[in-house]
Amino acid sequence: MTAVDLAQNTLDGLMVGASYALLAVGFTLIFGVMRRLNLAYGPTIMAGVYLGTAAFISLGAPTLVVLVVVIIGAALVGLYVERLCFRPFGEGARAASMVASFALWMQLEEAATHLLPQHMNPFPPLLATQPLEIGPLLLRADHLVMLAATLLIAGAVTYLLARTKLGLAIRAVIDQPRAAAIVGIHVERVMMLTFVLASAIGGVAGFLIAATDGQVTHMIGMWATTKGLVAMMLGGLGSVKGAIAGGLLLGILEAHAQWFLGPQVRDMVAWGLLFVLLAFWPGGLMGAKALDRTMAVGRRV
Amino acid sequence: MDFYLGLLQIMGVHTLLGLSAYVVLLTGQVSLAQAGFMAIGAYVAAMLTVLSGWPLIAALIAGALVAGFMACLVGFPALRVHGLMLVVATLAFTEIVRLFFFNFDYQIARGSIRVGPLGGEGFRQIRYFPENGWTTLHVAIFIWSVVALVMAALWWMDRSRAGAVLRAVGEDEIAAQSCGINLTAVKVSAMTAGGAIAGLAGGIYAHYTTHIEQTNFTIMVATFAIAYPILGGLSSIFGTVAAVVFIQGFLIEGLRFLGDWRNLLFGALIVLVMNIRPSGLLDARTMATLRRLFGRREG
Repeated sequence: MTAVDLAQNTLDGLMVGASYALLAVGFTLIFGVMRRLNLAYGPTIMAGVYLGTAAFISLGAPTLVVLVVVIIGAALVGLYVERLCFRPFGEGARAASMVASFALWMQLEEAATHLLPQHMNPFPPLLATQPLEIGPLLLRADHLVMLAATLLIAGAVTYLLARTKLGLAIRAVIDQPRAAAIVGIHVERVMMLTFVLASAIGGVAGFLIAATDGQVTHMIGMWATTKGLVAMMLGGLGSVKGAIAGGLLLGILEAHAQWFLGPQVRDMVAWGLLFVLLAFWPGGLMGAKALDRTMAVGRRV
Repeated sequence: MDFYLGLLQIMGVHTLLGLSAYVVLLTGQVSLAQAGFMAIGAYVAAMLTVLSGWPLIAALIAGALVAGFMACLVGFPALRVHGLMLVVATLAFTEIVRLFFFNFDYQIARGSIRVGPLGGEGFRQIRYFPENGWTTLHVAIFIWSVVALVMAALWWMDRSRAGAVLRAVGEDEIAAQSCGINLTAVKVSAMTAGGAIAGLAGGIYAHYTTHIEQTNFTIMVATFAIAYPILGGLSSIFGTVAAVVFIQGFLIEGLRFLGDWRNLLFGALIVLVMNIRPSGLLDARTMATLRRLFGRREG
């Protein structure tokens, strides 16, 4: 164990964490406006990625076209999930939305295996260059792109929320949906737009993850849901900054846990940390110390 | 015939699983920890019969007690959080348990083979039923006797003061608290009872499948557990049974002739039912109608 290993692990973790952070940003937006858990978030991303890889395999679409297909696919599937699982139920029926989104999860996985029956599918790589060498450390160029994209999107979302009229409407709906409706905000449309936007962000994350791996399986759906959820929760609910911090932290933590304890203990460390954090420090990293974090969401977004 | 008996066994275990989530849901808590408790009950009961040679009933009770004890331990910290936070905390618990058994080896030699849990390979050779000459029919009868026992206990509990207290906490925590109800005690008790029932379900599951592994106890199972009572409605334990029959009997087995397209329809039908009946198949009004039909007066 040398300082170089430590630095390399931290660096690798940071890069992987960038994808977690992006997943968490989308998740946190959905949770902010809906206050309900969307189990179909990862499968939505998977559906988009599968559409993209299908375009790549059968039509030979170039990388940029694949990106567009993935984003549009994820956004449309997100709309479908919102229509079936969230629009029909009020905020009182949280568990009903969750169960419905779980049912759609199974449906989307089945649809994906119908589209591409083989387990592993090729995905167009982002950049096929050699890793950069910075002193003794190695850095993959596509990881750098991922980190840059994450920071860019986080910045854009922050700008949208803080500076635009739609952002104002979103914050109003998050804060107090009924009051927002009274002042003339079309609450359902804002919810729908946020949901679609979040799904599209998830699509970008899914594209970057699949492109750095160069392949994709249908496991990416469940993977994206759990990683996004843990990263969102670590950072504290409903905060874009928190989602980024939580994602990067989760990545770094996992990299070190894998190095010191092995790959099988890695996930256990992440879940264990999450449990302890939720039980004893429920505000999250960026959160207030309020017990009921849903109340704190509005103040932070 | 064996096919239908097998289906009955699956339904029995899933009914127990659904009932374990039902108890916790009555207090308004959505717990995804049931799969974790089920795993604990499954491994404990199977290790006791296979490795220590315990009789089945004692092993099942021990598995349920250990799972209930774990539920009690988890209940205290987890129930400090509400809503989505509780969902995620309990999901974390289920994943921790699953990953624990993924890394858990404890094998002893028995004759020419080694038995016991072996990490990712799972726990094979849980052969209590075949070794003791139980037929599929015996097993099905046994499972449904346990289910009937648990249902009778829950039905009685539902009609006693304990049921009223649980529902009061589920309806409005602040109102319940101002009536002098100790919220923590009620929630932890419900969690413990739910954990014990899930552990019982796990023990039975381990013995009739004869082979368990960590992939049997994922978030998928945890979501199924809460899907049954939510789809069935929280007005009565019979809603959970109706939902198990609907999902396991109709959606999974009844639609098998559709082949690969089954899961597409499966999702759509659950969403459809949730849309038509957001408070469950057997909601309060249906239950009232049923009571009228069967001639019992409303109290």
